[in-house]
Amino acid sequence: MNPLALLLTLSSLLFALGLLAVLTRRNAILILVGIELMLNAANINFIAFWRYGPPDPELTGPMFVLFSIAIAAAEAAVGLAIILMVFRHTRSTDLNKLDSLHG
Amino acid sequence: MIPLLILSPLILLAALGAVWKARPVHAALLLALSLALVAVLYLTIGADFIGLVQFMVYVGAVAILIVFSLLITRPSDEAEEIQRRPRSMVTGLICTLPVLAVLLIALVKGDPLTLPAADAPPLSIARLGELLFTTHAPAVLAVGVLLTAVMIGAALFARDIEKPKSNQPEK
Repeated sequence: MNPLALLLTLSSLLFALGLLAVLTRRNAILILVGIELMLNAANINFIAFWRYGPPDPELTGPMFVLFSIAIAAAEAAVGLAIILMVFRHTRSTDLNKLDSLHG
Repeated sequence: MIPLLILSPLILLAALGAVWKARPVHAALLLALSLALVAVLYLTIGADFIGLVQFMVYVGAVAILIVFSLLITRPSDEAEEIQRRPRSMVTGLICTLPVLAVLLIALVKGDPLTLPAADAPPLSIARLGELLFTTHAPAVLAVGVLLTAVMIGAALFARDIEKPKSNQPEK
């Protein structure tokens, strides 16, 4: 097994774990944890193809990962702010309880 | 190759803990561990700068943000919260396994795996900075605007909203 295949397998499994967390967790914050795992899996793919693929003087992979990390940080900040707001309304972050638009 | 073989199972174990652990704080800390190990993985395969950025942004900012949110939104009945089983695990697995199967099949059948493992030179920070501020300058500006908007938006969302009735009795 070459390193590229190893990293791609790692990233597939990490993505699946993140998806599982998003689908099965009840706590909204832990769903965000799953989303972070999936974003990381995508980033590992970019780095793996840059490192073990054909040489790329434009550094497309690392560049994409830099922007992806910046946007992931923004997404986490907004997501957590929304969850805090919802928590203030309903005193809960359990998604099974958040079934009404009235708050 | 050897560091990869050691790091990959550790990353997966930490991620599995983050998905599986019932106690939210444990899950968040295991996520931080998993992200830190991914940063170490980047460092070992020559993407030094990306590894450091990953460490600072993900471990230093995102994971800590998540832990603090967990502290703020602590449920009143934590014991009961922990006892409860996750939402239907079976449905989750039914939805996840096909995705994983498709990814792995694409991995086995895909062409890129037959590429010779080229030895790319280690990531040059000077080159990265040069590209960032010439070719990708508009994107950098856009991300700057985005982060400013996010900062303002998050502050607006998270500020204490005064109740409409509480400001009437004043004066």
